[in-house]
Amino acid sequence: MSTTALSRGAGSSYVSRSSSSGLYDVLDLLLDKGLVIDVFLRVSLVGIELLTVDARIVIASVDTYLRFAEAVNRLDLGTSEGEGLPNLMEDMTEGGASSKTKGVLEGAKEKIFGSGDEDGDEEKEDEDSGSSSGSRRRSSSSGSGSGSGSRSRARSSRGRSSSS
Amino acid sequence: MATKYIYGVVPATADLPSLPGIGGAQLELIAADGIAALASDGPRGDLVMGREAMTTHARVLEAAHALGTVLPMRFGVVMESEEQVIARLLAARHEELATQLEGFHGKAELRLRATYEEEAMLREVVREDQDVARLRDSLRGAPEDATYYGRIQLGELVARALERKRERDAEHIVQALSRLALAVEVTPPPHERIVLNASFLVDQSALAQFDAAVDQVGESQGGRMRFKYTGPLPPHSFVKFGPED
Repeated sequence: MSTTALSRGAGSSYVSRSSSSGLYDVLDLLLDKGLVIDVFLRVSLVGIELLTVDARIVIASVDTYLRFAEAVNRLDLGTSEGEGLPNLMEDMTEGGASSKTKGVLEGAKEKIFGSGDEDGDEEKEDEDSGSSSGSRRRSSSSGSGSGSGSRSRARSSRGRSSSS
Repeated sequence: MATKYIYGVVPATADLPSLPGIGGAQLELIAADGIAALASDGPRGDLVMGREAMTTHARVLEAAHALGTVLPMRFGVVMESEEQVIARLLAARHEELATQLEGFHGKAELRLRATYEEEAMLREVVREDQDVARLRDSLRGAPEDATYYGRIQLGELVARALERKRERDAEHIVQALSRLALAVEVTPPPHERIVLNASFLVDQSALAQFDAAVDQVGESQGGRMRFKYTGPLPPHSFVKFGPED
């Protein structure tokens, strides 16, 4: 299948691809989908199912509203409308604006997986195309987007700083 | 007697993926009447399964799918013995399993998650929604504690505008892709920046076309969204058991 995958199209710089080795992307599939015969389910997955429900709470709350308001107020429509902003800056701003959401989601992930090294994996997913089973993933460096490299670096550093 | 952890169901003639199962256990096929459970010896004692086991489950299924057809089990199914696997899974559900093995032959699940680029979207909202623009202007520069409720109101307006956009955008994306798919499963978005979380069942012969269509959708959104495209995966979202007898 990797061969099929490697030959798959030239791609869009807005689309990043991964296989199931990016566990976070298939977490809900593994937990909620697939064949199951309840009567014979012998493993009790203590906590795991509940925690993914936690991760799915849609955050429609005063906190979200205040965050949106803050983000909207911070927009500088006058100078940077259109395509002027370098990706890096855009991402830093976005990182700040979305830190709350990300925090909630990662908190849940951390609970599921025990330790906090999921961040490391996410970075790997973005930057490392040569990992063992990631052969069909198109890395940011081979992607056609000129901005994708700096984008994933910006995201990685955000990941590190938010986890410290 | 060893318990059996079940990854999925495959044709009895399937090749075994060449990787270890959960806890390093050897993968095996437990076959009966043309179909087989892809399994390995289950862990002993209390079963605490975490990240590593889930990753293994996903990789085994992915490898099996690369070799042929596999009906994925949900993570965490363990049965008491080989005999139980045959009696209660393979024999008891033989017809459903055989039918689905045939039906999913040569098909794959592809997942697409679209996430808004928040700043681009907020710009759009301010530009398009006059209420938002007005309220934003009235709040800018004012001291924080004097504008608490105003900011909540502004945020709520923005959230609603985004919700409307999300519905439109999600529908648009699904429409653009579903003509190349045999089936579509849309999962409710887990948080407010996610536009769409959907799985598409695609025939292998249409995979390249589907890839191109995804790229086209990506380009057509021109930086408003970022897409995460995962697969080809075994058909997790599309396999089904009828009610228990």
